[in-house]
Amino acid sequence: MLTLERVSKHFGGLTAVREVSLEVRAGDLLGIIGPNGAGKTTLFNVIAGYYRPDGGRVLLDGRDVAGQPPHAICRLGLTRTFQIVKPFGNLSVGDNVMIGALNRLRSVRAARVEAERVIETCGLTAQAGAPAKTLPVGLRKRLEVARALATRPRLLLLDEVMAGLNPAELAGIIELIRRLHADGLTLIVIEHIMAAMMRLAQRIVVLHHGETIAEGTPAEITRDRRVVDAYLGEEFVLAQA
Amino acid sequence: MAAALRGRAGALAFFAVAAAVPLAVRDQFFLDTLILILLWGALSAAWNVAGGYAGQVSLGHSAFFGIGAYSAALLSARYGQSPWIGMLIGMVLSVGAGLIIGYLSNRLRGPYFALSTIAFSQVLLIVASRWRGFTAGSEGIPVPFRPGFATLGLGHVAWAYLALALAALFYGIQVYLERSRVGYQLAGVREDEDAAEALGIPSRRLKVIAVTASAALTSVCGTLWAQYVGFVDPFYVFSVDLSIRFALNAIIGGLGTALGPWLGSILITALETYLRATFSGMKTGFAGIYLVIYGVALILVVRFVPEGLAGVAARLRARWTRAHA
Amino acid sequence: MDSARRLGPAQIGVLAQLGVSTVLLGGIYALIAVGLTLIFGIMRVVNFAHGEFLMLGMYLAFWAFSAYAVDPYVVLFVSIPIFFGVGLVTYALVMRGVIHASHNVQIFTTVGLSTALQNVALVLWTGDFRIVRPWHSSVVIRFADTAFNLSQVVAFLIAVALTVALFAFMKWTHTGRVMRATAQDGDAATLMGIDTDRVYRLTFAIGIAAVGAAGVLVAPLYAVYPTAGLQFVLLAYVVVVLGGLGDMVGAMLGSLIVAAVEVIGSYLFGVAWKEVLYFVLFIAVLAFRPAGLFGQRGAETLGA
Repeated sequence: MLTLERVSKHFGGLTAVREVSLEVRAGDLLGIIGPNGAGKTTLFNVIAGYYRPDGGRVLLDGRDVAGQPPHAICRLGLTRTFQIVKPFGNLSVGDNVMIGALNRLRSVRAARVEAERVIETCGLTAQAGAPAKTLPVGLRKRLEVARALATRPRLLLLDEVMAGLNPAELAGIIELIRRLHADGLTLIVIEHIMAAMMRLAQRIVVLHHGETIAEGTPAEITRDRRVVDAYLGEEFVLAQA
Repeated sequence: MAAALRGRAGALAFFAVAAAVPLAVRDQFFLDTLILILLWGALSAAWNVAGGYAGQVSLGHSAFFGIGAYSAALLSARYGQSPWIGMLIGMVLSVGAGLIIGYLSNRLRGPYFALSTIAFSQVLLIVASRWRGFTAGSEGIPVPFRPGFATLGLGHVAWAYLALALAALFYGIQVYLERSRVGYQLAGVREDEDAAEALGIPSRRLKVIAVTASAALTSVCGTLWAQYVGFVDPFYVFSVDLSIRFALNAIIGGLGTALGPWLGSILITALETYLRATFSGMKTGFAGIYLVIYGVALILVVRFVPEGLAGVAARLRARWTRAHA
Repeated sequence: MDSARRLGPAQIGVLAQLGVSTVLLGGIYALIAVGLTLIFGIMRVVNFAHGEFLMLGMYLAFWAFSAYAVDPYVVLFVSIPIFFGVGLVTYALVMRGVIHASHNVQIFTTVGLSTALQNVALVLWTGDFRIVRPWHSSVVIRFADTAFNLSQVVAFLIAVALTVALFAFMKWTHTGRVMRATAQDGDAATLMGIDTDRVYRLTFAIGIAAVGAAGVLVAPLYAVYPTAGLQFVLLAYVVVVLGGLGDMVGAMLGSLIVAAVEVIGSYLFGVAWKEVLYFVLFIAVLAFRPAGLFGQRGAETLGA
């Protein structure tokens, strides 16, 4: 479904992503992990159309989408959430999600109905009428997911939707991701915390200094010498896995 | 129908009163005030499309007002053409200028967009006031009065209904921006462009469309205003004060609300009319005091009542409903 | 090469005149812009009323000169503490409440302030163009093939002295370092125990004192009227954007560039159209070079 071929992105003299290649098939749940500054979010920005790659190709269903604007890529069925959540703060939770639903629906009324359904799936029904800026962090992350889901993506990129959550919220969002995956959605999940990812992903790519240093099943990743080195000083994170 | 009217009772009352006044009152002073309230409100509504709904705060909208005013005035004064044709030409020119400003809105954010719009209107001011051969320069041009609808030589009652029709049309455009697909998408762009893009919204295109539409609507008002007042002075029609006034009505009334521009206009126009009557002896004194008050009002409103009169009304209504529930 | 050969003494004279004019004008623009870039760099507030303080400085000079025959250069010494105080009061009454507000709120607040100040001036002094003509504005200095009036030269020298003093203050005093630290990261500064409110108050007062002094200095050179600040403030923004926002050295280089455009533009197209030239330049710079010519941080970081 999505293929990256030697994708690179530089900022001035700094290489944020270096020749990263990866392959995502329909129905996959791919995890991307790496220490802070490894280039995970930059990679998402390239895939979703926020940055134009300096080298390589981004193929969505075999078509090179590099350089296309994010909204066009969303229309093709690929969307993302933001690590630093970007709710439409002055609008209600319901309107936030409804605006997402307008991606596929021409009618506001139909989008409203669709939004209600998605809000329920994501467990936000009680907050539907509240302005998005009044939500606590945990629910804002859910709103990010709900709004993206409402666009009816085939491939969803989740950028650290688990960071900063308490254990109960964490369990809830993992459960939600599992359910979405079970319903046939293809996902790429970025996470800084390895522990959560080990329980969730089928396959994991490890980025370090913008390069892929390992790829494999969670079990293979934890045994990888280079991954352990990359996370040196963060053993406690690994120990939780 | 009932759903469509919910929360629109205030607007309905306002337009009903505005429609009834010319039937009951023939006093020119009152009619003049009514016409100005409606026209200034329409101008702020036009500004609101870009500044309120799309979040693109322009302080150079007098550029489009001036284009509309000059197009019709020059065409009728020099070539004896109908101001309606001038209105159309003004709209076309304003769409062109609006595309430039819309392009800038995609390159610049916040204060820098506002500054670039000021610079844009200043360029037009200099051109209009220095290009003597064509625009009559800084002396301005009188608009000939030829009775009839085709030439917009109308009496006060006819002007009142024309202004009312314009106000109702602009109100309707804003309601559309609140309830339609494109309106909601625009709200998303206003709140967060990156997030809007991720939801499949072409944010850049929508901003350009909003700014350009706002420009064309402003130009229409400029034409009507020039025909009503009968004189076009470049230092007035292209002034920064005028641009600020468009914003001011909308902010006082409630940024990004449909009725807000007229609520603000009632307050500001009434204040202006009152001060004009009180200080009629001293010309600069009057303009000065009036503008000092509106500068201070702007500072106070954004600080203490950022949701404007419409927001305050909504809050009071909510409290009332809760108390009687 | 043809044009080079045709460069006779007359042309060289013109070039020298244009060059010196550019430097003289650039020095004054630097003083206007440096206060603006200081306020922007440290407070992250775009002050739309900046030009009005310049206008008030010009009126102060006019009033002192016409009522008491006090020379603008004497007024200058009084104007610095006066405008410092005006800055403190303005900060307390107007700016303090919106320093953490959205850009739109800051725009409207400073625009409201600008409108109010312009029209206070209109009520007090009417819309007439007022001119200050002290003796030195009619003294012509000839140097080689160039000619300038004394006011221009003195204004330049004082403006440069004040700008350098401000620069030194920012660079070498403790308070200056604290201000620069706050500019880097307001939140971090707060965590380190810096009283940011005090820093902002001081910054605003210094910025206003600088532009007020600039107003007094330019009074003998330009007519003053209530909206005189507008052309200068747009100009100052061109300078600040060209030089990179918050960059004081950049502001000085930007001043020279803008002055060059103005001087050469007036020479080629006539004074009447020079404003069109720099407004167009302004829009073009914002649209195509928002990060400035030398700076990293630019207009696009604002609100991003």
